Amino acid sequence: MIIRNKDKINSPDTIKLNFEALGYICSDAIATSVYLACHLQKPILVEGPPGVGKTELAKKASELLSSPLIRMQCYEGLDEAKALYEWKYGKQLLYTQLLKDQLGDVMRGAKGLDESVSRLHQFGDIFYSDEFLEPRPLLQALRSEDGAVLLIDEIDKADQEFEAFLLELLSDYQISIPELGTVKAKSKPIVFLTSNNTRELGDALKRRCLHLYIPFPSKAIEQKIITAQVPELNDKLKQQLVAFIGELREMALKKVPAVSETIDWARALLLLNVENLDHEWIKTTLNLLLKFQDDIEAVEPEIDNLLKAATKEN
Amino acid sequence: MQKVLGDFIHALRHAGLPISSAETLDALRAAQLVGIDNAPLLKHSLGMTLTKRLEHRLTYEQIFDQYFTSYDQLKEGYQEAPPQDATEGLEKNAQAEAKSPKQAPLNEPVTNLNSPLAQQLMNGDMSAMQVMISSAATASGAQDISFITQVPMVTYRVMQALGDTEFQQELVRLASSDESSATVQLLRQRRSQLQQQVRDYVEQQYLIFNQNEPNKLRESNLQKVNLTSIDHRNYKLMGELVRKAAKRLASMHSRRRRITKRGLLDVRRTIATNAAYDGFLFHTKWKSTRVDRPKVMVVCDVSGSVSEVARFLLLFLYCLQDVLPKVRSFVFSSDMAEVTQLFEHKGMDLALAEVMQKWANLPSDYGKALTDFEQIALADIDSRTTVIMLGDARNNNEDGNISVWEEVYRRSQRVIWLNPEGEFSWDSADSIMSKYAPFCSHVETCNSLQDLNRILGSVLKRAN
Repeated sequence: MIIRNKDKINSPDTIKLNFEALGYICSDAIATSVYLACHLQKPILVEGPPGVGKTELAKKASELLSSPLIRMQCYEGLDEAKALYEWKYGKQLLYTQLLKDQLGDVMRGAKGLDESVSRLHQFGDIFYSDEFLEPRPLLQALRSEDGAVLLIDEIDKADQEFEAFLLELLSDYQISIPELGTVKAKSKPIVFLTSNNTRELGDALKRRCLHLYIPFPSKAIEQKIITAQVPELNDKLKQQLVAFIGELREMALKKVPAVSETIDWARALLLLNVENLDHEWIKTTLNLLLKFQDDIEAVEPEIDNLLKAATKEN
Repeated sequence: MQKVLGDFIHALRHAGLPISSAETLDALRAAQLVGIDNAPLLKHSLGMTLTKRLEHRLTYEQIFDQYFTSYDQLKEGYQEAPPQDATEGLEKNAQAEAKSPKQAPLNEPVTNLNSPLAQQLMNGDMSAMQVMISSAATASGAQDISFITQVPMVTYRVMQALGDTEFQQELVRLASSDESSATVQLLRQRRSQLQQQVRDYVEQQYLIFNQNEPNKLRESNLQKVNLTSIDHRNYKLMGELVRKAAKRLASMHSRRRRITKRGLLDVRRTIATNAAYDGFLFHTKWKSTRVDRPKVMVVCDVSGSVSEVARFLLLFLYCLQDVLPKVRSFVFSSDMAEVTQLFEHKGMDLALAEVMQKWANLPSDYGKALTDFEQIALADIDSRTTVIMLGDARNNNEDGNISVWEEVYRRSQRVIWLNPEGEFSWDSADSIMSKYAPFCSHVETCNSLQDLNRILGSVLKRAN
């Protein structure tokens, strides 16, 4: 996968340009992290507030490398049966029924217990074998012939045991299945782990990863993002909008608006044919930006001040 | 490059960043990949491989900037003449300069200068000078300074290594023949410049490598120091230490899977166990997730004699309650009150102040307090509860109401009594420690953070 895409990822700048062509505007840090991940073959742990494009990064990376994206959403109680592999129990049961019928043929004419046992051993045993293995996302990623982009989403939501279970995968790109042995990656996947920091991740996990923190984008980058996502929006409104959001982020809110909210808002304003950002429009569309009633109530009386501060900057 | 990066990582570790050797290797590979010429790119790459926490990133960036600006200056020097050590570099440079002088600093010819340092200064090649300073400084141990007060001494040593003694003698000789000559004036001026330069460099090295060393020293001292003798000035820092310890304890929580008759059907194990029965599902296996969280009740004596230590246990409790969900806190002098809610709803300073104001510094009465405890909390104590008592058991010769404590012990089996006094003063005067001691699974002296940390650690371990 790496070799096939060599010219697309031969420097951080190229990666940045290619991402831009795909509509993903990124900072130097992000481009560098993808570059290092591809060349050092290390997983990236992406942290940052919700809605800054952590998951999107993995999606775009898979698009860039034109390889399949295998996504695993983590949650409390996720275990290896759902993440790695599961046996096809139904078929295994049928197989034991089948064996029972065959047993008579195999044992026919055997003298004594010893011979029966040795014949039983000679008889192939496929109860635990590839035939009955149901691969889950992690195993799929290791088995894909031409590499893949593996996205382990919101790793902080999974239990600590699961985190420990991932360590082998992340450092050696291999996984041990007790009944079968070790499965090695055919072609090493590019792994993205995302975290919202709902709990502190273990040092062992962190040590194995490159660490990328995506903060809220700077105003210039955010304007570029809006241009890429909502190209029809006029420049003046775009500037006003980004500046206003910038002011909002300065306030002490329960949840400050992220990039995804900015994009939603831009789309809404476009749909409503808004030409100029004013008090009324902001008030009616504020629920797109703020997701808590408390926040909306806190911001509403401040709209005029925020708007003034935002226009002053431009 | 390895040396440069190695020193850099050394500096980062000094600043308190936990960098493992595996991460060092990663950083080396990353640096090889991106090269060291593009500073912003290198900064990002090393940052990603070396720092794994946001709060470390800022420190990292600061040190990177400090370190690599001085490195850049060095590199320019190296390109001209890579010296082996100070004197050798000096000679080489002197020769090179003699052959092709870059600047003509003086109109009059430079003659009769025997000291190499003097020649060097007259040539005025600052970058070569910088190289010499850095190697002399390394040789003089500038990277090992622990206190800023050592800077002048090391500066002096570096000057010596550069050949300052010889130079001074020469200066005196020149001055004796012609005091006012331009050469002498210039040399004096250059020497004070050089001295400033050396001093700056040594200081910079101190900042890069050893700024945090005294902090570390203080932190470890604080851990050992007796809680009653902690200066108010240090309370804040101590609070942070407590926070760290509490967090470490909280991370020892476990969530285990165990086998019960309820919960989800464990298909995998059911089929595996029933393979022997022709695949008929004969024995069912179930799984459920049980969250193990120890319940902790802490009772804290805040009466006059122990109030200083109690304040500290309260502080620890406050932090512990932040991270552990099931801590209930009680305080008493004679009447007992539960302060769990108070801790939950108020900030640390406010809550502690309120506790100290309402309950502290009164004469203690363990009997009355335990009667209150019986009413408030005894019903909630079960075998998964740990009860911790902090107190000196000095009861002003009143009845200790031992039977309540016995009941607490019977129900919980994990009762820890932490006494701020040393073992030798137990049972002296009005202390009735020996009456309570049989009904405690642990009686320990606890008067420093280290004790507290160790004891609470063992509580959580056994609670699992």
